[in-house]
Amino acid sequence: MNSFLLRADDVLRQRPWTTKSAHTPSTLMHLGANIVFFGMAYGAVMGCFGGILGGRVQQVVYSALKVPLLLLATFLVGFCSFFVLNTLFGLRRDFAQAVRALLATQAGLAVILASLAPFTALWYASSADYSAAVRFNLLMFTVASLGAQGLLRGYYRPLIRRNRKHRWMLWTWIVIYAFVGIQMAWGLRPFVGAPGVRVQFFRAGAWENAYVEAFAVVARLLAGMLAS
Amino acid sequence: MWKWVRALDRVLRGEATRLPELSEETIQIPAVGLSAVVLGLGMVYGVCMGCFALVNRQELADRLGQLLASTVKVPALFMLTLVVTFPSLYVFNALVGTRLTLRAMLRLLVASLAVNLAVLASLGPIVAFFSISTTVAGYGFMVLLNVLVFALSGALGLTFLLQTLHRLSIARRGPMPLLSPASNPGMSEGPHPPPESVPPTPVPLPPEPRARQPVEVELVEEPGALDQIEGYVLGRHVKKVFGCWVVVFGLVGAQMGWVLRPFVGSPGTPFQWFRERESNFFEAVLETIRNLF
Repeated sequence: MNSFLLRADDVLRQRPWTTKSAHTPSTLMHLGANIVFFGMAYGAVMGCFGGILGGRVQQVVYSALKVPLLLLATFLVGFCSFFVLNTLFGLRRDFAQAVRALLATQAGLAVILASLAPFTALWYASSADYSAAVRFNLLMFTVASLGAQGLLRGYYRPLIRRNRKHRWMLWTWIVIYAFVGIQMAWGLRPFVGAPGVRVQFFRAGAWENAYVEAFAVVARLLAGMLAS
Repeated sequence: MWKWVRALDRVLRGEATRLPELSEETIQIPAVGLSAVVLGLGMVYGVCMGCFALVNRQELADRLGQLLASTVKVPALFMLTLVVTFPSLYVFNALVGTRLTLRAMLRLLVASLAVNLAVLASLGPIVAFFSISTTVAGYGFMVLLNVLVFALSGALGLTFLLQTLHRLSIARRGPMPLLSPASNPGMSEGPHPPPESVPPTPVPLPPEPRARQPVEVELVEEPGALDQIEGYVLGRHVKKVFGCWVVVFGLVGAQMGWVLRPFVGSPGTPFQWFRERESNFFEAVLETIRNLF
């Protein structure tokens, strides 16, 4: 356990093994384990809003599964296009290192999220407002994403130094990841779980399109503003 | 089959379009095999596209019908667009005096279609994910997402075409050093005459180096498939013809897509292979954007 935590520390400090090519399978395994473990840790706390008694523990388990699922599934959906674009722009030689950099960043994101879990628990203990809890979790994800951005830049720095096209590829990845990730998170709701509502893995009608919903909200707001 | 996939990989990595590979004024690729891969990639994207109907239609026959139609129509869209635009491209190129043969031009176009379809198919998982996670209300979104993906992959495929053409025009001018002596010290260590053999007459100063001189080509790294190599530019007329062709290919492709619709399949209407002749692609896209709001 101690060595596992030390490896998580290595990810945050961008130690060379996280992106070195010598032991790729074991590196990927360690990074994957970090994503799953720390993602589950935050997810479990996230799902505690409705309590853990009277069948609510199911929500804790579901949320614990959903956070790493969100990170890994988003990564997998965008991976194909990232591979082809890297190849096409002449960056195939560095692709393995780029993938390790992305996975290390995901692992870092999961570790940062887990470190923010106590704040979430305290918020839950302080307020019974479901909407506020959802907003607070959104804030925690935003903070973790900003921290992960710093990590990503650090991991990508040697690649960008080698070839400036990596900077564009990094931005391409961020756009793809955000575009898919928003829809993935929308589809995997509920993460927090409203009290009094039956616990379920997917909310009924969860697989709507997040962007269409957002357009509809904006359109309603605009219509309201124009009417008033 | 594996050999053809390797050929696609060589095209994507830019190995098939490096200057030494283009010395015979053509791309060395198995055109027939690569065409088969292009068809396969188109079918893969068609399946991803057809997932929307698979999830959102009621009748099993409608679901499978639309899935099959999308799978067949995507490769057909590219092949038919090529069939429509290729003859005029060849004829106009011949008119302006390009030395590209019919076979060389066909190989060039197959390679650029391969790039186009590879990018398209690589975006397939994203489209499939959105297809299965979007309900009937998001039909307009799915149409626009597909238009965006087609436009992006088309832009990259046609950029590849223009860059490869540019490289062909460089390769045609005769052997050129891949690395300048400055960037590769090992190359400059030739049999220099000893210092004492230099005549004592004043040596004229070398001319100022010019950025566009072909001998100044300096490739620190192996160039990617889309990288521009400095050197000779295309013949003015050939460049114009291909530039026009790229635009025409885009327009014809868009309209061909309109003729072959539905690709996504509106869940509110029964499945049909082709729709009535009406309107055009650009009007329809504007209408879809308007309907989103």
